[in-house]
Amino acid sequence: MDGERFHDASERILSSINKVIDGKADAAKLALTVLLAQGHLLLEDVPGVGKTLLAKTLARTVDCTVSRIQFTPDLLPSDVTGVSIYNQSSRQFEFRPGAVFANIVIGDEINRASAKTQSALLECMEEHQVTVDGHSYQLGLPFMVVATQNPIEMEGTYPLPEAQRDRFMARISMGYPDKEAEIEMLETHQASSPLVKVTPVVTASDVAAMIATVQQVYVSTAIKEYTVAIGRATRDSARLRLGASPRSLLQLLRAAKATAALDGRDFVLPDDVVDVAESVLAHRIILDRKAASSGDTPQTILRGILASVPVAQEPPGAWRRDRQTA
Amino acid sequence: MAGSIVVAVLGAALSLNGVLRGWAWFMPLITTVVVVALTLAVLRALRAQPLLATVGSFATLAGILSFTFCRQESLAGFIPTAGTFTAVGRLIKRAAETVVSESAPVAPNAGIVFVMCACLGLLVILIDALAVPLAMPAASGIGLLAVMVVPATIKPQSVGVAGFIGAAVGYLLILGCSHWFAPDARLQSGSGRGPSQFRRSVVTGGLALALTMVVPLAIPGFETGTFPQGSRLSPWGTSNGLNPMITLGNSLRSPTGSGRITYATSSSSPLYLRSVTIDHFDGETWAPDDRSAERRVGADRIETGYAVQGEVVNAVTSVNAGLFTSPYLPAPFAPASVNGLNGRWTWDPATLSIMSTETTTRAQRYVVFSAAPKVTAQSLTQASAVPRGISEDFLRIPGNLPDIVRQTADSVTASAGSNYGKALAIQKYLRSGEFTYSLQAPVQNGYDGNGLSVLADFLAVKSGYCVHFSSAMAVMARAEGIPSRIAVGYAPGRLTGESVALVGQGSFPEYEVDARDAHAWPELYFEGLGWVPFEPTPSRGVVPEYATESSVPTNLSTNADEKEVLTTPAPAAPAPVPLPGVDTPAAGSASVNPLPTIAAATASVLLLVGFLWSPRLSRTLLRRRRLNQKPPDEADAVMPGYKDPAPELAWAELQDLATDYGLPSTPSETPRHFSARLRSSTALGDTGGVDDAAHVAVSSLTSDFERQRYGRGAVAAQTDAQAAAPAAATRIAVVRESMRHNARWLVRFRADWLPPSMMRRWVHALGAPFRALAALGKALGWAVARGWRVLRGLLPQRR
Repeated sequence: MDGERFHDASERILSSINKVIDGKADAAKLALTVLLAQGHLLLEDVPGVGKTLLAKTLARTVDCTVSRIQFTPDLLPSDVTGVSIYNQSSRQFEFRPGAVFANIVIGDEINRASAKTQSALLECMEEHQVTVDGHSYQLGLPFMVVATQNPIEMEGTYPLPEAQRDRFMARISMGYPDKEAEIEMLETHQASSPLVKVTPVVTASDVAAMIATVQQVYVSTAIKEYTVAIGRATRDSARLRLGASPRSLLQLLRAAKATAALDGRDFVLPDDVVDVAESVLAHRIILDRKAASSGDTPQTILRGILASVPVAQEPPGAWRRDRQTA
Repeated sequence: MAGSIVVAVLGAALSLNGVLRGWAWFMPLITTVVVVALTLAVLRALRAQPLLATVGSFATLAGILSFTFCRQESLAGFIPTAGTFTAVGRLIKRAAETVVSESAPVAPNAGIVFVMCACLGLLVILIDALAVPLAMPAASGIGLLAVMVVPATIKPQSVGVAGFIGAAVGYLLILGCSHWFAPDARLQSGSGRGPSQFRRSVVTGGLALALTMVVPLAIPGFETGTFPQGSRLSPWGTSNGLNPMITLGNSLRSPTGSGRITYATSSSSPLYLRSVTIDHFDGETWAPDDRSAERRVGADRIETGYAVQGEVVNAVTSVNAGLFTSPYLPAPFAPASVNGLNGRWTWDPATLSIMSTETTTRAQRYVVFSAAPKVTAQSLTQASAVPRGISEDFLRIPGNLPDIVRQTADSVTASAGSNYGKALAIQKYLRSGEFTYSLQAPVQNGYDGNGLSVLADFLAVKSGYCVHFSSAMAVMARAEGIPSRIAVGYAPGRLTGESVALVGQGSFPEYEVDARDAHAWPELYFEGLGWVPFEPTPSRGVVPEYATESSVPTNLSTNADEKEVLTTPAPAAPAPVPLPGVDTPAAGSASVNPLPTIAAATASVLLLVGFLWSPRLSRTLLRRRRLNQKPPDEADAVMPGYKDPAPELAWAELQDLATDYGLPSTPSETPRHFSARLRSSTALGDTGGVDDAAHVAVSSLTSDFERQRYGRGAVAAQTDAQAAAPAAATRIAVVRESMRHNARWLVRFRADWLPPSMMRRWVHALGAPFRALAALGKALGWAVARGWRVLRGLLPQRR
């Protein structure tokens, strides 16, 4: 897919999302970024700020299969992945696909499911396939899980452990809309659900082509060095108990590639990395006890780290080597 | 590489010229150095192991040394045997004796040449090892420096131009060549290797060389210290030739007296101790003539060889030479016998100088019986007969005697009739108020020594010390037909307050002399009286009675007030007496020479201006170098992975420009962020107005740089947008103009004359040694801590 068509398609998706959700252009863009970077999205916020709405809108703008799983404590792993049942007439076991067999899977309130069910979903997310009774079933492309999580309601929930949070490429906190956007929302959304008006603007194959374009984005050595430098800085930081994992750096770079493509470039800039770094890394790092008690958040610490890591090491043999330290 | 090492080592060796006499020693040196370097080159060309090459060169050095110096003792002429080592031991012993006993320039005997060849051969191997396998070519300069330190401390004219330039050029060549021979990637990674880099290094090296030549003119040399005064590199001074008398000047200038000699004598007149006679004048220099063929063994009976009429004054003198080390024996004139000497001593019938080729005067105690004719003014007047029975050598004058010498001699002696009268006239002229005694003037004016040109300079400047006065008198006497020679030794010394008893002679007061009393005086030959000493040097020594005239002030100052003479400036010389046929400006300019002052003032003003200008100049140069990049070659541009450096350089320039106008970029800032900050700041003004072009330029420079740094390379670089944009230099100029326009005058002034981007760089460079020290300290501390831990682990644990 060439640059112009890519740009058109992304514009169409974003404008249709923005029509539904007012004042959340950043969140919409990040959601699209994650889709194009073949990652999964974790929406974490208080109830009623439009987490599910965002997930549903994104799913509907793309003409592809969508399934929604409402996680409850009694949900079984087979409900997610599918199950083999005995067909009396054919006298054979038949595989009945679960909810995960869709292009976009919305996992609502994922922290309310049991750990067993959660890990069934997470396995699919990582491997892009489902294995039931020794058979492997490939999932379609694109495949994206948008999970929402409510941080307030702690009773009877099973918060995602660190290892499983690491599987999500990015976490977005929706946040409250500003005053104008809220008034606008009250006016337009009174009569009917805004979702009714949403029609698909791109096909699944378009999205697949866009994903292929994103994969072609060039990443220079300087950018790789910068990414690694950020990762090392989180690991060396005295205020963090757990730094960014190598997998997280890989996902950071993939997200940066998608950002660059959305910006109409075929190469990654440090700015792309900086743009997505907070969303990609904040939910993976764990604060030191002292830092947590002093009011720091992962976001503030990440911002500090980004402000201290040099953007690019000079290429070897450069004659203005002194610049870096000057 | 081998060639450059040869040039460097031989260049450094050239400077040894004044340390060894003549040039005979240079041939074996060349063969040794060249053969060793060739071996190294061949072994390196064969890609032998670095260790093997070094070992091979050692073998070659041993071979060539035994071939040159111990051919008989060696197998097949060059393979060392046990006999060779004995011979080498002998050579080294001889060299050691030479070093201890002789003063520079020494005769190039086999021992000292052997040691030099061996040292320089080793130096070649060392430089090669440093430059090639160890990849530290810069460190090879230490070896060259070691060679040049010798002449720098010994020779009064220091290293000399030829030696210095030779060594410097060779060193630069080593640095240049090592680039091609670099065994590791560290040195080869430089992308700009090629003609431009070579040109840059040639310019840098040439500039440094030129500076070392010019800067010493502007700064004063040091007056006191270990080094003889004036021993800085003074390439413009005339070469004085080589002579032991130069060492006399150095002895006199040495701040501390060394080589103390004590003596006690029965002589009633002040006693001059005479150690060597200088009689051979070839026009270039006065030099001693050893006449080794005619020397006679045994100093217990010495004969003058000429008949003396009239009364003879006998004296006995006891000398304790102490630490004074010389092959020549100091003795009062004219020695009849010397008793109590150790070793084999010979004497020259013509000059009565006593010397030894085997031992030295060190720690000798001896008694000299001397007998000199009683010389009076009357006897001298009578001794007017033409000298007979004296060698023609003492009358020889080179053909190229400067006119000033002969004219001065003629005009001074015009009114005198007899030889004695002429001698007195010359002495009177030299002791007159026109001449001043100065140890410094000859060095500053570059005529230290006693050659013919030096003599002419001395007669023009009319300032110098005993070497000049005595050689002037000797040459002028010869010009007037009086046989003459120069005696070198010690002026009468100071009383020590003690007395020495001589067996059978009684007790006599003891005197002492040291290096500061070193002196030279002329001896003139009068038929029937023999050699008669004179004293033309003002303020030094004692004028003999026969050589005084009522009109001549008998300046009987001895060394007691020598310090005063040296430190108080001589009274301004009276207007010089115009000599017939002599250009007076030369003499006049000597008293007040404004030229050095003007030169120094001009140089300091230039330096100051250059210093103030340097930040601006270097900033401009940097900018020009960044922006005036040649367009890439077609061949380069299509290479995979090629990146045009221009956007990156333009970006660096933009960053520095922003730094200069108070908007430095931070290391963690992305280019896009920096560009946005720059555009939103007051430095560029508002968009849409007059500064719009600058805004456009900044964004296009940013995107160019981003594409160049983070983009795909050659493919991405050829976009239409880039082709349409004006050259980076134009865009930078637009940005700069806009920044200048928007800045306050103080900021503008700072950006022009003290650009912060340049200052930061310099401050950083200045801090480098301290950072290195800190790193070293840290490493040391770490090593100590680790060592302590290891040590503690080794100690038995107490349970």
